[in-house]
Amino acid sequence: MRTILEFGRQSLKRSKARTTMASIPFSFGETDQVLVEEKYSTRIFTLNRPNQLNAVSFPMVQFSISAIELFLACEEDHSVKLIILKGKGKAFCAGGDVAAVVRGITQASSNWRPGAIFFRRQYILNYVMATYNTLSNFTIPLQICMKVSILNGIVMGGGAGVSIHGRFCVATENSLFAMPETALGLFPDVGASYFLSRLPGFFGEYVGLTGARLDGAEMLACGLATHFVLSEKLSLLEDALYKADSSDPVVISATISEFSLAPNVKEKSAFHRLNIINKCFSCKTIEEIILALEREAADKDDEWISSTLQSLKKASPTSLKISLRSIREGRLQGLGKCLLREYGLVWTIMRGEINKDFFEGCRAILLDKDKNPKWEPAKLEQVTEDMVDRYFSKINDEDWEDLDLPRRSNIPPYAIAKLQILS
Amino acid sequence: MEKEIHLLQFITINSMEKVNFRTHILSEHLQNHRHATTATISASPCFSYVPPEVSERPFSFDVTSMRKLMDGHNFGDRDWLFNLMVQSELFNPRLRGGKIFVMPDYNHSMQQQRKITMKRIEYLLDHGVFKGWLTGKGPESEMKKFALLEVIEIFDYALAVNIGVHFLTWGGAIQFFGTKRHHDKWLSATENYLINGCFAMTELGHGSNVRGIETTATYEANTGEFVINTPCESAQKYWIGGAANHATHAVVFSQLNIDGKNQGIHAFIAQIRDENGNICPNIRIADCGHKIGLNGVDNGRIWFDNLRIPRENLLNSVADVSPDGKYLSAINDPDQRFAAFMATLASGRVTVTVSAVYSAKVSLAIAIRYALTRRAFSITANGPELLLLDYPSHQRRLLPLLAKTYAMSFAGNYLKLLYIKRSAQLIKTIHVVSSAFKATLTWHNLRILQECREACGGQGMKTENRIGQLKGEYDVQSTFEGDNNVLMQQVSKALLAEYMAAKKRNKPFKELGLEHMNKSCPVIPTQLISSTLRSTQFQNDIFCLRERDLLNRFAAEVSQYQAQGESKESAFVLSYQVAEDLGKAFSDRAILQCAIEAENNVTAASLKSILGLLRSMYVLVIIEEDSAFLRYGYLSTDNAAAVRKEVVKLCGEIRPQALALVSSFGIPDAFLSPIAFDWVAANSWSTIEN
Repeated sequence: MRTILEFGRQSLKRSKARTTMASIPFSFGETDQVLVEEKYSTRIFTLNRPNQLNAVSFPMVQFSISAIELFLACEEDHSVKLIILKGKGKAFCAGGDVAAVVRGITQASSNWRPGAIFFRRQYILNYVMATYNTLSNFTIPLQICMKVSILNGIVMGGGAGVSIHGRFCVATENSLFAMPETALGLFPDVGASYFLSRLPGFFGEYVGLTGARLDGAEMLACGLATHFVLSEKLSLLEDALYKADSSDPVVISATISEFSLAPNVKEKSAFHRLNIINKCFSCKTIEEIILALEREAADKDDEWISSTLQSLKKASPTSLKISLRSIREGRLQGLGKCLLREYGLVWTIMRGEINKDFFEGCRAILLDKDKNPKWEPAKLEQVTEDMVDRYFSKINDEDWEDLDLPRRSNIPPYAIAKLQILS
Repeated sequence: MEKEIHLLQFITINSMEKVNFRTHILSEHLQNHRHATTATISASPCFSYVPPEVSERPFSFDVTSMRKLMDGHNFGDRDWLFNLMVQSELFNPRLRGGKIFVMPDYNHSMQQQRKITMKRIEYLLDHGVFKGWLTGKGPESEMKKFALLEVIEIFDYALAVNIGVHFLTWGGAIQFFGTKRHHDKWLSATENYLINGCFAMTELGHGSNVRGIETTATYEANTGEFVINTPCESAQKYWIGGAANHATHAVVFSQLNIDGKNQGIHAFIAQIRDENGNICPNIRIADCGHKIGLNGVDNGRIWFDNLRIPRENLLNSVADVSPDGKYLSAINDPDQRFAAFMATLASGRVTVTVSAVYSAKVSLAIAIRYALTRRAFSITANGPELLLLDYPSHQRRLLPLLAKTYAMSFAGNYLKLLYIKRSAQLIKTIHVVSSAFKATLTWHNLRILQECREACGGQGMKTENRIGQLKGEYDVQSTFEGDNNVLMQQVSKALLAEYMAAKKRNKPFKELGLEHMNKSCPVIPTQLISSTLRSTQFQNDIFCLRERDLLNRFAAEVSQYQAQGESKESAFVLSYQVAEDLGKAFSDRAILQCAIEAENNVTAASLKSILGLLRSMYVLVIIEEDSAFLRYGYLSTDNAAAVRKEVVKLCGEIRPQALALVSSFGIPDAFLSPIAFDWVAANSWSTIEN
């Protein structure tokens, strides 16, 4: 039996009803941005905006039947043992639909509120994904439900936020991971200050600041993915997973392992340059990082160093400074704290009172596509410590509301187990 | 509200038929045992860990602002260094209960611990952590050095002591006792670890009494050299950090002899190992061996067999010897010369004092977080077991120590600033305050460590939970950089000297915070009510009253002994009881003033109110514990009973803020320990399998 449920703007009540999830075929709603299939005890969620590279949209996170409620409903539905999350088309998920957010703000006479709500909902979704099926509300779950994300394509920004925090992430030869926010005048959010900072050495700073792209093999090597499976094997993997009919992480891991490979990391990969990365990206400030890279470049003619430098020089100076500090603070904090800090940052950025690089970046990269953003301030040294402090300080504004994360138990051990320091 | 819900749910569980519940748990146990691989902690219904962040009420004040208030300075530098340590394999990261913790492996042998300590130093050096520690100028670079050293202390005290020996004692001696020629030759080389320095002052026969050391340095005009010699076994240099394995150079403290005349203690530079690490001729070195703590520090013993060093190796900022053997010093009085010499050693005492506060913070954060998640015994028929910290007795054990740690944290900050501002006029104040604070804060830390160890029960026994190990690592703080008892005697002596000087010249007191002696004696109300007990006025009054009275008593007792024909020195020795009480009174009063000042500088009402509670707790618990208040009649027994009651009330009021208060310490999770977090997961079977 196979049921496709298309979700749009329906009532929360219905989706939560167990029968709805289980057997009654529903087809309603104006949108079908997330498809849900049911196979025995498995639910397969497919992000379904292939033309927008499955970008996380307003409807996905905003309305009463959002992805958040869908996930929570599955969590409460004790017949569901496993959720598989994947994307339709060549992307898993290319991130939050920031173009829409920015269009909203710039066109609707600087109305930043919908944007703030968008980020708020998105971060809550990240938190739900990360804390999925840990003890919630102090009740004792009789049945646990696991999550497997299949990253067969582009995984960027918000796409990483809905997958990386979870228990299992399967990369393929088509995976393409990046946190490109500094080029957009934003910073790696969706909990990236948590997961980037837990990559080996200072690789997280490198990935987060330069927006470097990683393939599936690199994702596996650095700990962003737990498994690597060739895309041709994915349908077999899905079959095996739902036939396994289990929520035991050991069984699920073993099932995926049957199909997985240990691919070689390509020779030119940045992952082979951890020594230089650790040396340079451990510096205290962006200026020192650039100086250290330039010093390395002076010693040898190296294409990787020059392209790394180029990425840093192209990025918004303000974004670089905010991003570095956010990752460094994130390394010492839990995911909840990271999301709270990131929400404060994104809120200040949306208000655009300190600078407007985010709007300029989106204009140049996503809307006008002239790829020539005019950052303001344009130079690193013009971004003072004081300016950076303002982004991180407590917001005194009557409109401000703290991110109200659902009160769930701690982030489970397994959520960070795979992101531990590699030896 | 959150907590009520929490309790309610436990009651619901408990209201299930008890027998069925028990059977269910037992069958789970059995099942788990049979299918061990499928067991997951979250499926176990017996005890689920709930993080205190979830179970406790939301914070009533901004913990970031509080952290800034307590750390005081260089927040970005601190976090950067925390990052550097967490991300390196050298700092021994371990996954426990889903979190990474960094801590030295104390299961390593003494030699392994020393080796890895040196590797960590190399890593920190490579990443520029020590940049400017000796070549930097101005208060900013000194404050930065303090901040980074504090972060290193939070990781491992042995690492910090190694670095402290090299930079603060060896490097400090070059800076303060040396002149330009020494600075040019050694400071930059030291900062970059081209050489390894140590500080050879203490001998087997003489420690605190530095003036009694027996090593000699004799000048020979015909060769232009000093000859350094260890004349007897009691003159062997002892406990010299760095000497056993890796130091290449030493500052050697010796009695300077010129033409048969002893000019007192002077400091000399001697090379003790060559660049390959071989011990130099005319030097013998032995290991001090395994210790009760700080085994990452290679303490050694050194004998000098008529070692010849050039005349230029005398550190000559206070006194010099001309090539033809003339002794030259701007300070003629040998007592003053010695004082000028010793004043510069205060930086060691300052860092020891502050590090004691950070050790106290680490152990309190662990013990209090544990007490917020660990339950024991139920006090109602079917009720849930109580959280440890919900027992008033457990609150009384930990929360007063928390309050004292806050006050002492502000005292540490004050001391750092006082040291930074150092000038000739401040030498005496720095000496007295740093002595008093060093003794008080290090004793406080040792007491905290013991209490926290016990408060964590059996878990406190585990090395991975840090507190027990810290007891050994920090124990020596009561001895090095001046024995605590000796320091406190010096404080009382200095106060007496101040007293005598003021009385003799009939002039008002104007130093060491004794200005209150110029006013009329404060009067304590006959009946103390809660609001009085919590007022700054009362708290100040009673601490000043105690200090004033004890100083008068000390002076009277000493002069009484002298009238009976005892020498001044012998009179001091005989008056030790009052001297001890007085030292404590001075220290407690000075710390209170630091806390009051910190509180006054805060604007946010939420911070002010919690700081007020902590200050009251600090004062009242001292009054409760120190018998001097009753012995000398500063308090009636009725009032002492009122104080005792108020302490209990304060415990209840601070209890809801306990989590916020330890979160404000700003110590990253990775530097605490598994029992501070999900200790159920950290100890689950699955962690053994994997």
